[in-house]
Amino acid sequence: MWKSLARALPFLLLAALALLPLAGERFVTYLATRMMLLAIFAVGYDLLLGQTGLLSFGHGAFYAAGAYALGFFSLHVSQHPLLGVLVAVAAAALLGLAVGALCVRSSEVYFSMLTLAFGMMVYALVWNASDVTGGDDGLVGIMRAPLSLPGLSLPIARDAQFYYLVLLFFAAAVLAAWRIRRSPFGLVLTGMRENATRVAFAGVPVRRYRLAVFTMSAAFAGLSGGLETLLESSARPSMAHWTHSAEPMLVSLLGGLGTLSGPIVGSFLFIALREIVQRFTEHWMLGVGIILLLIIGAFRGGVVGTLHQLVERRRARETAP
Amino acid sequence: MNAPLLAAHGLTNWFGKVCTALDLDVAFHEGVLTSVIGPNGAGKSTLINLLTGHLPVQAGRVEFRGKDVTRLPVHARVRLGICRSFQIVNVFPQLTALENVLIPALAAAGRTRRFFSPVSRETAARAEAEAALERVGLSDHGGKLASALSHGDKHLLEVGVALAARPALLFLDEPTAGMNPLERARLLESIRSLSREGRTTFVLVEHDMDVVFSLSDRVVVLHRGEVLCDGAPDHVRADAKVREVYLGQELEAAPRQGALP
Amino acid sequence: MQSIVHVLLAGLSSGMFIWLVASGLTLIFGVLGILNFAHGSFYMLGAYVCYTVVKVFAPHFYLGVLLGPLAVAAIGLVVERRFLRGVYHLALPYQLLLTFAFVLIFDNLVKIVWGAGSLTPPVPEALRGSVSIVGRKFPVYSLFIIAIGPLVALGLWALLERTWLGRTVRAAASDREMAAALGAPVPALYTGVFAFGAWLAALGGALAVPYVGLLAPGMGESIVIDAFIVAVIGGLGSLKGAFVGALVIGVISAFGTRFFPTFDMALTFLLMAAVLLVRPRGLFGAAA
Repeated sequence: MWKSLARALPFLLLAALALLPLAGERFVTYLATRMMLLAIFAVGYDLLLGQTGLLSFGHGAFYAAGAYALGFFSLHVSQHPLLGVLVAVAAAALLGLAVGALCVRSSEVYFSMLTLAFGMMVYALVWNASDVTGGDDGLVGIMRAPLSLPGLSLPIARDAQFYYLVLLFFAAAVLAAWRIRRSPFGLVLTGMRENATRVAFAGVPVRRYRLAVFTMSAAFAGLSGGLETLLESSARPSMAHWTHSAEPMLVSLLGGLGTLSGPIVGSFLFIALREIVQRFTEHWMLGVGIILLLIIGAFRGGVVGTLHQLVERRRARETAP
Repeated sequence: MNAPLLAAHGLTNWFGKVCTALDLDVAFHEGVLTSVIGPNGAGKSTLINLLTGHLPVQAGRVEFRGKDVTRLPVHARVRLGICRSFQIVNVFPQLTALENVLIPALAAAGRTRRFFSPVSRETAARAEAEAALERVGLSDHGGKLASALSHGDKHLLEVGVALAARPALLFLDEPTAGMNPLERARLLESIRSLSREGRTTFVLVEHDMDVVFSLSDRVVVLHRGEVLCDGAPDHVRADAKVREVYLGQELEAAPRQGALP
Repeated sequence: MQSIVHVLLAGLSSGMFIWLVASGLTLIFGVLGILNFAHGSFYMLGAYVCYTVVKVFAPHFYLGVLLGPLAVAAIGLVVERRFLRGVYHLALPYQLLLTFAFVLIFDNLVKIVWGAGSLTPPVPEALRGSVSIVGRKFPVYSLFIIAIGPLVALGLWALLERTWLGRTVRAAASDREMAAALGAPVPALYTGVFAFGAWLAALGGALAVPYVGLLAPGMGESIVIDAFIVAVIGGLGSLKGAFVGALVIGVISAFGTRFFPTFDMALTFLLMAAVLLVRPRGLFGAAA
């Protein structure tokens, strides 16, 4: 019974998401859009952290790369949203390739420190080059032009309309991550997390594979960044700050590191909680800190992992003599 | 005498002021099951590390099938066919036993680059992986997490992972350590039959002399980073220098009267 | 010429604060193997407690410098014993996220207790003077700070190299199990080292009160990033490296702020990346 429920869950979720804007609540639609954007970011990030075991503090830079790339493209070349998203993903992936090539030569702590360094360098660059990037104010005035496909033109200016575009990309991103995780490549990544030396001794060029997953996760970040630019009509330097890179880290842990549903559940939960808590107090981050402590201390598998354990325990009790 | 599969010339390695390999010249031939023995600290593991690329070579040359592989990284050597197992269990703890052997099997089949199709579709690699588990007697444990295996089973898995890549040359570093007699016999039989099949040439680092002399076609004795003796088992057993190094104890079938303690 | 000397001195004094924070960070990493993100919070707490002691209880700065770090050391003790102990065996991400949780908690606690705005501490009489250096006035307090840094360095060196406690700590750092087998009280040592590291950072914070002239909840974050960069450049776990690194970063930052203001934010990160790419384990770190 649980198994069929678990299998149906993603479709139920998708159906729920598809029906959400019809309820008419503009703010809820906006929140759900932001949830999906964070989820795209986190799902890609978890490929690197949960699956491969590499902790990056610089992924905000790739998010920003996607955001600014789409911004520049939209302001100076073409407002076509799909082309813009393509440019965003490509820019983020390219930057990810370049930064990753330098970072994967180091391991563990030094890898993380290098990603921090490069991420903050991008932040500083974007912040300082105010003539080009608008400095602290960022790029503004990016319009949501209609999606022109052969034969039809789909408007996305209204939040509800844009929501469906994001939903499409969200579904695509989750599907992509799901396939990567289940693939031979994905298995090798898990091996690298567990024992990188042995993976080398199995005949796999570890550094190259690390670079590959790094670039992939950067692409996810860029997709999310580009979509946020379209949502908010702006791109800001804070996207590249290391504290922004901490968000997918947090939500992946909250939902469950190393799982597909974990980052998704974590994103939704995080944004929902933030909305609720911020109505009562401005010290939301204190709550985040406490939640983090709880998770690391007692519920390391996150929401998904803990649920899993409960189900396993219930199943063991049911099948025990 | 046909050309060696793997040949090392003048291998030298220093750990700070300690010399772990001194001008080593050693060669391994296809189909010849070799054991490398020597007292603790003789440099056996260092030799394997140097030959497999785990340790960078400071001086000397390593050739595989005539090709210079001295500067080749670990994974490249594995692709050529040089593999090893580890003395201390070095597997993937949070993966199942089957997944453990599947990784090298996939790599050997060149399928690890596939990132969009599911692993479940890799039937050929899966068959190889299951065969590897069969060879070490872990077929029934395929679904168990590696960390949940018993101590002896973990060691069996360690060898299984090394076997799964079907290498041309396989170094086994004390493979029977931590095994009970049944597991040991099973493993040795597997090694013997695989060796006879001819696809994999085995080199064992061993302390157990029964294993060494019952299984090996050839024995290499290391002492303080140098090759002390190299030849057929009986020849090595009778060599005076070797006896001196081992104080005549382990090599004898029965203790001599009045032998030194 | 005048500017160069003053900028150099300013860089040295700001570098000493970074050194105080980085020294504790390095000690904690070297012995416990943990990268403590919350180290900047200890610095911040040291400053705030010192400020409170001076403002509320007794208008003597030295009391603040005495009591502030002690209070923070006590906090560090609790953090290690109740929370950090459980994560030593976990993977790096969990450890970092745990210390990051404390950053969030401490930052917000400070905002709740002291308010989110900035505080202006009174500068003690004795430290207000300035001396003339190459024709321009330079604050005495900064010179005092420049002197404190090497004193702390010397003290640490003496502690680690010349005392029984120091040797035991070093033993535990290089081989935890062996040290425990030989009878060293490793868990207590870990707690002690963590608390001592927190004390060092808090000392930096307390001493910074008259220097920075402004206390704000974000002061921990900016210095901890610098301290991390310094620790990495110097080689994680090397106190010598941290000292040298702190001076280098302090001076370079000062020159950067003064002469190349557009680049100065990225300068330290650039330097760290450059060092790591050439020497993957830092200047004085163990060979890769």
